[in-house]
Amino acid sequence: MESVGLSGYLIVGAVLFVCGVICMATKRNGIGILMGVELVLNGANLNFVAFSQHTHLGLDGQIASLFVIVLAAAEAAVALAIALNFYNNHLTIDVDRAADLKG
Amino acid sequence: MSPDIYIETGTTLKWLLTTAWLLPLAGFLIEVFGGYWSGRKSRAAAFLAVGCIATGFVCSLIALLTWLDAADLNVSDIWQNPRAVAAATHEVSEATHVDHEHDADHAADAEHHGDHEHAVPAHSEEEHHGHAAHGNNPLKFAFNGTFYTLAKFGRIQITLDYYIDGLTVLMFTMVTFIATCIHLFAIGYMSDELTESYEDHQVHLPGGKHFHRPGRFYRFFSFLSLFCFAMLGLVLAGNIFQVFIFWELVGVCSYLLIGFYVERKSASTAANKAFIMNRVGDFGFLIGLMILWTWFGTFQFANTNPDQTGEQGLFQMVRTDAGAIETEGEGLNRVAYMQSATGEHLLGNDGQARRIPYWLLVVAGLGIFAGCVGKSAQFPLQTWLPDAMEGPTPVSALVHSATMVAAGVYLAGRFFPMFTPEVLLVIAYVGAITAFIGATIALVVTDIKQVLAYSTISQLGYMMLAIGVGGWLAGLFHLITHAFFKSLMFLCSGSVIHGCHHEQEMTKMGGLYKKMPITCWTMWIGVVAISGLAIPITLPYLGAISFSGFHSKDAIIASSLSFSTLNPTHSLLFFIPLITAGITAFYMHRMWFMTFFGKPKDHHVHDHAHESPWVMCGPLLALSFFAAFCAVGGESGPLANLLLTSEPTHVAGGVQAAGELGLTLPSHHEIHECHSQAGMMALLAALMGTVVAYLFYCKQAVDPALVKARFESAHRFLKSKWQFDEIYDSMFTRPVHVVAKWCTGFDREALDRFLHSCASLAVGIAQWDRKFDEAVVDRIVNVFGEVTYAAGRTLKGVQTGRLRQYVMFIAAAVVCLFVVLFLFLPR
Amino acid sequence: MESLLFTIYALATCGAALGVVLSQNVARMAFWLVVSLGCVAGLFFMLNADFVGATQLLIYVGGTVVLLIFGVMLTASGPFNTIKSEPAEMIQAGVIGIALLAILIPTVTSVDWVGNRDTLSHAGVKSPSGEFNQQGEGGTSRHIGAALLGVRVDQADASAPSEAHEHHEADHDHGHEHAHGEEAHSHAAHDHAHAQVSETNQASGYLLPFEIISVHLLVVLIGASYLARAKRRVEQPTS
Repeated sequence: MESVGLSGYLIVGAVLFVCGVICMATKRNGIGILMGVELVLNGANLNFVAFSQHTHLGLDGQIASLFVIVLAAAEAAVALAIALNFYNNHLTIDVDRAADLKG
Repeated sequence: MSPDIYIETGTTLKWLLTTAWLLPLAGFLIEVFGGYWSGRKSRAAAFLAVGCIATGFVCSLIALLTWLDAADLNVSDIWQNPRAVAAATHEVSEATHVDHEHDADHAADAEHHGDHEHAVPAHSEEEHHGHAAHGNNPLKFAFNGTFYTLAKFGRIQITLDYYIDGLTVLMFTMVTFIATCIHLFAIGYMSDELTESYEDHQVHLPGGKHFHRPGRFYRFFSFLSLFCFAMLGLVLAGNIFQVFIFWELVGVCSYLLIGFYVERKSASTAANKAFIMNRVGDFGFLIGLMILWTWFGTFQFANTNPDQTGEQGLFQMVRTDAGAIETEGEGLNRVAYMQSATGEHLLGNDGQARRIPYWLLVVAGLGIFAGCVGKSAQFPLQTWLPDAMEGPTPVSALVHSATMVAAGVYLAGRFFPMFTPEVLLVIAYVGAITAFIGATIALVVTDIKQVLAYSTISQLGYMMLAIGVGGWLAGLFHLITHAFFKSLMFLCSGSVIHGCHHEQEMTKMGGLYKKMPITCWTMWIGVVAISGLAIPITLPYLGAISFSGFHSKDAIIASSLSFSTLNPTHSLLFFIPLITAGITAFYMHRMWFMTFFGKPKDHHVHDHAHESPWVMCGPLLALSFFAAFCAVGGESGPLANLLLTSEPTHVAGGVQAAGELGLTLPSHHEIHECHSQAGMMALLAALMGTVVAYLFYCKQAVDPALVKARFESAHRFLKSKWQFDEIYDSMFTRPVHVVAKWCTGFDREALDRFLHSCASLAVGIAQWDRKFDEAVVDRIVNVFGEVTYAAGRTLKGVQTGRLRQYVMFIAAAVVCLFVVLFLFLPR
Repeated sequence: MESLLFTIYALATCGAALGVVLSQNVARMAFWLVVSLGCVAGLFFMLNADFVGATQLLIYVGGTVVLLIFGVMLTASGPFNTIKSEPAEMIQAGVIGIALLAILIPTVTSVDWVGNRDTLSHAGVKSPSGEFNQQGEGGTSRHIGAALLGVRVDQADASAPSEAHEHHEADHDHGHEHAHGEEAHSHAAHDHAHAQVSETNQASGYLLPFEIISVHLLVVLIGASYLARAKRRVEQPTS
């Protein structure tokens, strides 16, 4: 256990985070962007739990990760509802079509 | 008189006189608002005005009879004294023949009552001494009260009052009677105006045409009605402030009537002149009012109302029960104590006796008298009256001879108790000078109305003189008689002018007595009356056989003679009126002879002359009757006795060495003693004047032209009216012009230039400011705006609205932040 | 064994995440996501967080991902719908991702985590006892439930009474002695004073956040169902 250490988990979390960001930045599909978000959240969760085990954080980290999971589920539900609406309005899920915020 | 009868009589008189007073106002309102619909050719306005004033006259007459009844001149006395009957019935024109019957009885009565002839004045003297013993007793015959309270400041208040005594009633009767006659006369005289297009021959338009305008018949009568209202209000007024109100209203009417032919330059100028000169006098009046208001806190003349005992009028405050002014101290420190109803000093709020500086009392008296000077055309404000003849002749007769100008004399008489001896002396001298100036100018003027105007000035001077020397009765006596004969003469002159087609120059008349006999002989009565001619035979009761003017002028001369006897330093006050009496007889006869006798000088005028219609001759006859007989009996006659009931107490007994100057005013007794002497002298002077005039202008024994050439400079001086207009012109008008010119120059050169430079400076500053604004402020603001706009334009491209790009930006920004932190944060 | 397992799970997690990034088809992305999340759950178990790992499997793999797949099904025009990104964007994103990694990984590796923990312990900050969840013991769910109520068994003197348990005098005393014994067994007695000083600060539980979260979840679900309700009229606006 000690051989792996905190750093390994943190590196995996960082890789997950970066993959999620890239996913958000490149996918034109709305669902793909949601998946990127999930990846980012999982990276953060991994960090929480790792810190919970290896530092003074204790159970607080695990509880925070539980909250994150719950919030992610809620977010996914709302985001999917938005995506459905978007699809209903534009007949596509391509987020580049939603340029209404263009300055 | 018991209080019940007192109040009853007072109420009756109040309502009668108020009716007489307000009727002309009603007439005026109806004429003003309804005249337009009556049409230019309708005489309705005239009938309405005549109806109003005639009804007023009837009311006044009833009031007069009520008064006679109440004032102990009771019916039994009147029946015992035929002259009293005449006085009581004179005003009723139908009673003329009745009066003649009494005249017929005179001879029979005369023997029976002959021994009473001297007793009557003595009796009246006793009576008045008796009054003096128990209070300020002329007020016993005065009724006063309040119509309406205009304003109230604590205990002091400004009210509309009435004050009725013998003088009021007599003035009412006189004014309404004369006004009725003149209204009737005016119906005939103003009939020219009953047209849609009146041609004014005295207004020349360019191209040799005359001015045409609609007739103003109803306007004339509405003005006359308003004037009557104002004049009666002035007489009825119970306080000096109310007098002032109606005083001004009378002035306004005078202005309107003088300027009746407003298109004539001379008429409008004359109207302005009259109005402005009256304002000069009224300024003094206002000063007097302010002094009285400040020191006495009331405007009321006197308070005799039993319901309001304790409230003091002005007269009661100034005079003690005996009629004296109680003073203390010397010179400017002299003070006069105010009197209470119980004959003690009036106490102020602080418990001290209320006093007024004596000199302020003098100033107040002089101020009020200044108003009288303006209104009665006394020296130095007399120049407006001759110019006022620009108005129609009935106006001249009513306003500028009989009533309005007499208002000044009336007020001087009414306010007599407030005048200190110093003020009286000023009044006397002003009157004397005015009388002389007016008479001398009347010698040379040739316009028939101008002669009468200057004669009016002169006679008003007489009245003032009489009041000034303590002859209160004489002054007001002359006021009444003069009103009758002067209005008569004015109407006669109006008749002449009307007959001669508006020709007023006497030099173009002559020989008219055959053409207009009624006018001629009625005018003769006026001329004789004003000249003071009489047959020097003394009849019992009737006194001298003469017309009214003799009696009143006689009384004035007697007063001034006794005054100058008692005060030898002021003997000039006797000689001037004596000489003036002669001059008066001369110029009046000159006028009469020039107009009606001799050879016709202008055949055009003479051929067209005609007698006036009856509507004009009737008033002449009525007036001539009163001009002849109203003063019958002289100073012991009914008219004088009626006036005596309202004479201030202190006059009868005379005043010994009063005031700062130590003047002595003659008592009735003293006046009476020199009566016959003065009468003879005045008669002699008048006869001389008459004879000279007869020789000059009727017999042509002396050619007036030669005399004129002989005294060329004097003639020119008189012809130019003593240079008064020139003096005023150079004293006031031209300095004002010069000052105005200077002011204009100052305005133009200094003020305007300063303002212009200020303005151009402001413009210059503004231009610089504009440049600064445009170059600096605007540019700075614009730069801010442009920079912001450009930044917005630039940053707009960043906002693509594409989600993925935003994510990319965030990530890139995180990277950049890290890099920056690693590079720059200290480890 | 420990390291081997970690390496497998870590590589699987990272590989699957890269698969999500690189695959162009939505269905494949969903598959790779399931793999990645499942492996993260394995990492959780390795960290002795059995309750969190179970939750991860249940909610994420069993719930959220199914939800996403439903989304894919509902929005896809065709079975294998592909919306391609431009290569330039891919390159941009790759550069930025590598830059992020290049920052994060050196940061993680350059920190001396063990030394830091010891320094903090000496400075008086409580460290987890380390024995509340011994290797292979499992059963963190009970501790987490207690922590939600404010009872912290993981803290050094977590036996400090919470407000909620004050009336259970006997339980309190027992817990206290028990914790005291454990502390004496593992650490020096001088920490005791510090624990006593700060015991009132540790008495806060997660009950209130838990309630807020649950209400939030309810609101979000209602909102989601409202947003996602069918609107027929949009289908044929021109027909």
